[in-house]
Amino acid sequence: MGWITKSRVKSPWIMHFDNSSCNGCDIEVLACLTPLYDVERFGIVNMGNPKHADVLLITGPVNRRTGRVLRNLYDQVPNPKMVIAVGTCASSGGVFHNCYNVLGGVDKVVPVDVYVPGCAARPEAIIDAVVIALGELAGGRRHFWVKCPHCEQDHEVTDQRWTI
Amino acid sequence: MTDWMMAIAILLPVVSGLLILAVRNYFARGVIVVLTAVVLIANSLLFATKGPMTYTPSPGFDWATLIAVLDYAILVTYLVIGFKYRNWLVLLFTATQLIPLLYFEFIMKAHVHPEPAFVVDHLAIVMTLIISIIGSLICVYAIRYMRDHEEHLHLAKSRQSRFLFWLVLFLGAMNGLVFANNLVWLYFFWEVTTLCCFMLIAHDKTKIALENAARALWMNATGGTAFILGIIYLYVTQGGSSALSVQNIIGGNVHGAAMLLPVALLCYTGCTKAAQMPFQSWLLGAMVAPTPVSALLHSSTMVKAGVYLVLRFAPAYAGTYLSTAVAIVGAFTFFGASALAISQTTGKRVLAYSTIANLGLIIACAGINTPLSIAAAILLIIFHAISKGLLFLCAGAIEHQIWSREIEDMEGLAAKAPLVTLITAAGMLSMFLPPFGMLLGKWVALEAAYKVPLAAIFFVLASSLTIVFWTKWLGRLLEVMPKLGWPLEKLSPSYSVPLWTLFIGIFVIGIGIGPIYSSFISSATSNVISGMSAIVASSWSDIALTSSGAKGGAAVLGLFPLWSLYVVLGIALVLPMLFMGLKPTQLRQVYLCGEQSGGVDTDEWLAEADVKTKFILGGYYFQGTVGEKAMNPWVNTVAILLLAVMIGCGVFVR
Amino acid sequence: MNELTIVIATIVLAPIVGGLLFGIDRRITARLQGRYGPPILQPFYDFFKLLGKEGIAVSKMQFVWIYCYLILMIASLLCLVLRADFLVLVFLLGFAGVSLVLGGFSTKSPYSHFGANRELLQILAYEPVLLLLAVGIYAKNGTFLISAITAHEEPMLASLWPLFLAVLYVLTIKMRKSPFDIATSHHAHQEIVKGITTEFSGPFLAIYELTEWYEIVLLLGVIALFWANPLWVGLLIAFAAFLLELVVDNIAARMTARWMVRLSWSIGLFLGIVNIAYLYMTKGVF
Repeated sequence: MGWITKSRVKSPWIMHFDNSSCNGCDIEVLACLTPLYDVERFGIVNMGNPKHADVLLITGPVNRRTGRVLRNLYDQVPNPKMVIAVGTCASSGGVFHNCYNVLGGVDKVVPVDVYVPGCAARPEAIIDAVVIALGELAGGRRHFWVKCPHCEQDHEVTDQRWTI
Repeated sequence: MTDWMMAIAILLPVVSGLLILAVRNYFARGVIVVLTAVVLIANSLLFATKGPMTYTPSPGFDWATLIAVLDYAILVTYLVIGFKYRNWLVLLFTATQLIPLLYFEFIMKAHVHPEPAFVVDHLAIVMTLIISIIGSLICVYAIRYMRDHEEHLHLAKSRQSRFLFWLVLFLGAMNGLVFANNLVWLYFFWEVTTLCCFMLIAHDKTKIALENAARALWMNATGGTAFILGIIYLYVTQGGSSALSVQNIIGGNVHGAAMLLPVALLCYTGCTKAAQMPFQSWLLGAMVAPTPVSALLHSSTMVKAGVYLVLRFAPAYAGTYLSTAVAIVGAFTFFGASALAISQTTGKRVLAYSTIANLGLIIACAGINTPLSIAAAILLIIFHAISKGLLFLCAGAIEHQIWSREIEDMEGLAAKAPLVTLITAAGMLSMFLPPFGMLLGKWVALEAAYKVPLAAIFFVLASSLTIVFWTKWLGRLLEVMPKLGWPLEKLSPSYSVPLWTLFIGIFVIGIGIGPIYSSFISSATSNVISGMSAIVASSWSDIALTSSGAKGGAAVLGLFPLWSLYVVLGIALVLPMLFMGLKPTQLRQVYLCGEQSGGVDTDEWLAEADVKTKFILGGYYFQGTVGEKAMNPWVNTVAILLLAVMIGCGVFVR
Repeated sequence: MNELTIVIATIVLAPIVGGLLFGIDRRITARLQGRYGPPILQPFYDFFKLLGKEGIAVSKMQFVWIYCYLILMIASLLCLVLRADFLVLVFLLGFAGVSLVLGGFSTKSPYSHFGANRELLQILAYEPVLLLLAVGIYAKNGTFLISAITAHEEPMLASLWPLFLAVLYVLTIKMRKSPFDIATSHHAHQEIVKGITTEFSGPFLAIYELTEWYEIVLLLGVIALFWANPLWVGLLIAFAAFLLELVVDNIAARMTARWMVRLSWSIGLFLGIVNIAYLYMTKGVF
């Protein structure tokens, strides 16, 4: 494992994005930062800015408006990046899956690396999800979406550039 | 030879001005201006190679009478202006000039013929180089600028000839002013510059232009009044015309405490012309004029005449309380104008306040009155002329790109006019950052300011404020959307030649300051200080801190390898600009909470009900804290008190 | 040859020291908040991770200015270690600050602009204090040269202690610690995204972090100058000042930019001016 990969695993900066959740999962995400769980032990810092983030931590089901916003934020996170869907709603749409305005889980809009079940997801589960994502990152399996400049469609790309 | 050089420097502008007035063709007029510029520049370089000289016109022609007649002609013109525009202040201060002048020449029957009439020393050569080179470039720039200006205004009858006439005449008057040794002749050239200034500010003949021109006139007329009173006082107390020679006054040949009052009056005169507080309003009002006027007034003529006068007479008041008072007057203006500049929303007014501030710094340096500070003052005069001339020409070029002078309208200029932005940015950086000349001047000034600690503290505060207003403005220019490959704009040669010449000048003079210092500025400094009497010099050595101050500027400039700072600048700024590039795939949208409405280079976002809305950014101006309304009352009060103290030092403190 | 060694050693060692200081900072802050905190080497992990990320940008000038920021900071630090002119050090530091501000301004981004404007106010707050320190040094030694400070037997702290107090809060501003973490903050409670660094990402953010490491070494070095003989006392004082900043950071709330400027221009300048006036009076210049 090279210096940079090692550093990547040790320094995941997260950005938390709330689609249209009931705020239950959001409270659990913030609980991770408290002294009890203290995720900074693992170098995890909540950034609040996609341009600094490595991991997108997404709660709640995607609706038509937040889907657009989520996609925009995803494009602004520099590669390599990870997406974690936190909670049942973010994973599948949960109890909202039939609503007229809900598209479903986060994977309808951006590719998801790790799904965290639970309503609401427990802090331990969230931290575990980040660790699993980091393992994947270290293992070198990476795929992400880019918008093709020619056809304006999303292409899924597996790029070895980000595995050193 | 000397005859011809003097004639070209002073009279050629008059002759070609009259020619321009006669010629009605745009192209022919341009050729005359360019030729005049070339001859003036060559002539000034000839002065530089020939070195110091003195000159008295041959007695075959009665120049003295001609000048006296023209003096009255100018003052009568002021009176006509005063009556025409019903401006009582102009009338009043013209009368206070005219009556003493009549008294002096007819009642006292004064005959003033100090020999030599003109003294061209190193200081005068430095000044004439600035006037001829930078002033001429501005005249060249004005050829095209005035055509665009009039096209924009849709004038029925072209007034470009008249404009260029006054512009070129200005250069001749300034050359005469810096060469003159006869105080009465100096006064004459002084009044010619005031008249040119009035005519140029009033050029557009709008109501506001006329008002501001009249204000410039009466404020400068108070200075002229002080000037003529100083002359009479000298003539009476010192008895005879030998007292009215500049070289005699600064050479210590005119002794006595009675000397201080006229010198204090002359300092006051210098302060009016250099727009020191509380006279700053005339220079700000002058901003209504077409931009070449501002460029000329601010860089090479008019205001520089003011600081020249104060600097020239520095030895006459060295070591007195008057000197300290002058230093504090200048330093306070440096501080006050820098603070006021932060609140300005118009680009040209920021430039104007910056000029006032820097002139304050130069006057403060003259007031500190050590060899080092005089060297700093001369350095600052040179670098300020180049940078400020360039910045005003840029302001004009920007105005003709976007047809606005507001800083907020210049937002994202780097995208619309990359070349002009590049030159403007270089000009701005050269005003306040290392390793450029202005900062070098400030550095030497701070080093010299040990003698007047209060001035040093004002310098410190003002330098910090300076950083804020320049950076703020430059930031507005650079604000662009994420996109690559902005197309370069096209510039007419009348614009691009002066712009690029001054741009290169900043770097050449900045890097070559060492040799330039040793060949010119050090001798100019010694010209200024040569007259300081032995008493003054010994009182300096009492001061514990003189050790490094007395060594002069060469020590400071020699101690630090200045070129190394240019190397740092090259590595830090020039190399990445040239060799670092971005690929289009690297560009991303700016962060807008994910609400952008489209592509990478859009500044629209989806507001309520998915309506596309452009977002607008604005700068900070802090009007409540440093705005003119908040600052002017107390700043002007303090400035008036300081001026009163300055003149009081001339009267009471011997 | 000797000078070249010093230059290279400084360029290599300063970021290591600076990075470790930031690591200690994060650890102690966490302990003060009742947390365990990240490893001491965390800033280095962050740095290398950022270096390995995709270089995305919003404009070319942005990245020219951030690079300029780094080079000028190094140049400023070299002025200190080569014992050159203190005034040049301050001017270069000012230029570095200006280039960071221009980096923030050089794109049409609201958050970046907030940060840049605030950073500019920070410059307005600390620049006069540093320049007054230069004037104070001149009043004491008759020269701006740092070599003259280190040559003196008597510590500068003895006669310049009011300026020392003023420089302490310059350190707070420069370290971006509460109550002065106004342009951008190290903590998540930053309410305007990330202030001036919002639009910097990946390697460009890494350059910014690297510059901060150089900056902290430079500032602590300036503080060490207050007791330059023997230097270890000065370094201890600098480290104590550093620890003091961490405590202040954790007990103070973030204040507004205006409050910062007002405080700096009243108390800071008062301390500086009184100090210089006193020096001049004892020297008998008045």
